[in-house]
Amino acid sequence: MPLVPNPRSEIRKPTSVKGSLLDEGGPVRVVPNPKSKIQNPKSARGWRASLIDSLAMVGVLIAEVVAFGVLSDRFLSADTFASIVNQAPDTLVVAVGMTFVLIVAGIDLSVGSVLALSQAALGFCVVREGGLGWPLGLGIAACLGVGLLCGTVNGLVTVRWALPSFIVTLGMLEIARGATYLATNSRTLYIGSVIEGVSSPIPGAGALTWPVLISLATVAAGQMALSMTAFGRHLIAVGANEEAARLSGINPKRLKFTVFALCGLLSGLAGLIQASRMSSASPNAGEGFELEVIAAVVIGGTSLMGGRGSVVKSFLGVLIVAVLRAGLFQIGAPEYAKRLIIGTVIVLAVILDFYRGRLGRREGRR
Amino acid sequence: MPRKPLPSLMLAGLFAALLSGCAKQTPKEPTPMTPEKVEPNTLLKPAAAAKPRVALIMKSLANEFFKTMEDGAKAHQQEHAGEYELICNGIKDEEDVNGQIEIVNQMLAQKVDALVIAPADSTALIPVCKKARDKGLVVVNIDNKFDDGALKKEQVSLPFVGPNNRTGAKLAGDYLAKQLTKGDGVAIIEGKPGAFNAIQRKLGFEDAMKAAGMTILTSQSAYWETDKAYPLVDQIHNKYGAKLKAVLCANDSMALGAARALQGKAVKVVGFDNISAVQSLIKEGKVVCTIDQHADQIAANGIVHALEILKSGETPGDKETPVDLITAETLEKK
Repeated sequence: MPLVPNPRSEIRKPTSVKGSLLDEGGPVRVVPNPKSKIQNPKSARGWRASLIDSLAMVGVLIAEVVAFGVLSDRFLSADTFASIVNQAPDTLVVAVGMTFVLIVAGIDLSVGSVLALSQAALGFCVVREGGLGWPLGLGIAACLGVGLLCGTVNGLVTVRWALPSFIVTLGMLEIARGATYLATNSRTLYIGSVIEGVSSPIPGAGALTWPVLISLATVAAGQMALSMTAFGRHLIAVGANEEAARLSGINPKRLKFTVFALCGLLSGLAGLIQASRMSSASPNAGEGFELEVIAAVVIGGTSLMGGRGSVVKSFLGVLIVAVLRAGLFQIGAPEYAKRLIIGTVIVLAVILDFYRGRLGRREGRR
Repeated sequence: MPRKPLPSLMLAGLFAALLSGCAKQTPKEPTPMTPEKVEPNTLLKPAAAAKPRVALIMKSLANEFFKTMEDGAKAHQQEHAGEYELICNGIKDEEDVNGQIEIVNQMLAQKVDALVIAPADSTALIPVCKKARDKGLVVVNIDNKFDDGALKKEQVSLPFVGPNNRTGAKLAGDYLAKQLTKGDGVAIIEGKPGAFNAIQRKLGFEDAMKAAGMTILTSQSAYWETDKAYPLVDQIHNKYGAKLKAVLCANDSMALGAARALQGKAVKVVGFDNISAVQSLIKEGKVVCTIDQHADQIAANGIVHALEILKSGETPGDKETPVDLITAETLEKK
């Protein structure tokens, strides 16, 4: 796109530096040409490597489905997949935000607490007894507003004092959770049927519900923003080498701020989606959610070091974990086995990412 | 402007974290062990002259159940303000065992006269409570009973005041069984694996279901949480379909998630704890029943028990507090 100041030289240069740094770290890693590690989203070979990555993940998904299909007689049913699809939206929308945050080499640990706080704000506004009894529209606005506010604070503090986002969002994790307890008085707020309309099927669209549509739209918009706009390429540039990006005329502070604010807003959206599914706002909602989201995003090949990531692959990462959980629930696996298996799959997926990254690079050089 | 306070807040947080890091080493230090040589009478005399100070140590105050417990204790203290002083503390979440040990140590440093504790872990808290006993404090165990085997091993007996979770769960299960036919399939949604009350409730549900001849299709954990119960129950329903007639949840938060996952389906849901959100669902007919353990009275009863021991100095016995079945009818009566 014309908005990028000389994309060929300025963006690929810093990323190649990044690549070589990474390669020194791995003992068995032999990468003949670190320059080709970063894919220019526009180039044909980048797309090809990206397609291989996605197909590998779809392969993992299919393997899971087949395995559980064999292990559990009723796994292969429309109900199972409808349930998985209905569960996924809250994780999905936050995974989009988290992908952006990880791309600029940040991290947002506060998403679970922010989700709970937004939900609590929604509940407090809408509930009659012990709340304000406002109409649903205002409640939804408050819910999203609180999410955006938390994200904005994360972004402002991180950027203004150039602090590691790890510690800033860790602080927000505690602050938002504390505020949630305060707002809910540590009690689960039962919202009831008022909120259920939000997660009901869209009229005339079969079983498709609003949250599913919204989350798919978020994924699509996120991926398009990342690979088809200057904004997306600036994010990758900042994540790969902030100084080089700054010298080439990109404002890293503004980009980082935007990304954290967006992640907060999406956490608020996830809070709304979850509240509508549960018909209630729980003070303990989203406990450990951040790790679930980060795991899914990293399974999708987004680098914790920044400079590399894909929204579509995060989407596949979310599905891989969701299908795994659903299958383990259905076979009634004992608790220790569930955790052993989920942990193993996360690590295996990242190891696989190492190899498919190599494959993609080789493919790209031909 | 929010700019300036934020860093100082963070500094304060960091400071607190550092402090707790230092303090955590204290339990590792060898404590003067003088087992079974305690003479509470002589040790407590100077303190008993003044108003006794009672420390109430609970689990997560983010849990409605413990919040109610704390409110009940505070109300009791206000009514009996002349008789004792109360210090309330709770931990971050129900798994924060180290945090709770830390609080006990802090209370020891505060030189309180009695500890009333709802332990986050049935065994891990025993050594520090024994240390408190050896220092002459009265220790009363509430809500979550210490493991009998571990108590014997440590050679201490700590009086327990609280409900019998197994009896409560059986009560709910029996009520549900009347609405089912023999041989129906049910699922149990457990609390956090390893938690004493989670195990007791599961056993109580099993007692009732076996007695009524029901088939337990599966029993899995949703870690006490609404958002973890929903997908679990959803998939269990997908797996067993019409065979599934009822879901017994070890707490009400999980019952909320289960009821929502099963909305519009002919599956009955049972909860435990009687939180206000579930009362609405019981009235709407989406949950069959729950169990009230009178959280507001548990801590107060424990405090009364501790005060009695302080006065009499006698080795006390356990005291069971009531559990009640809550159904649509009982809610209507109120």
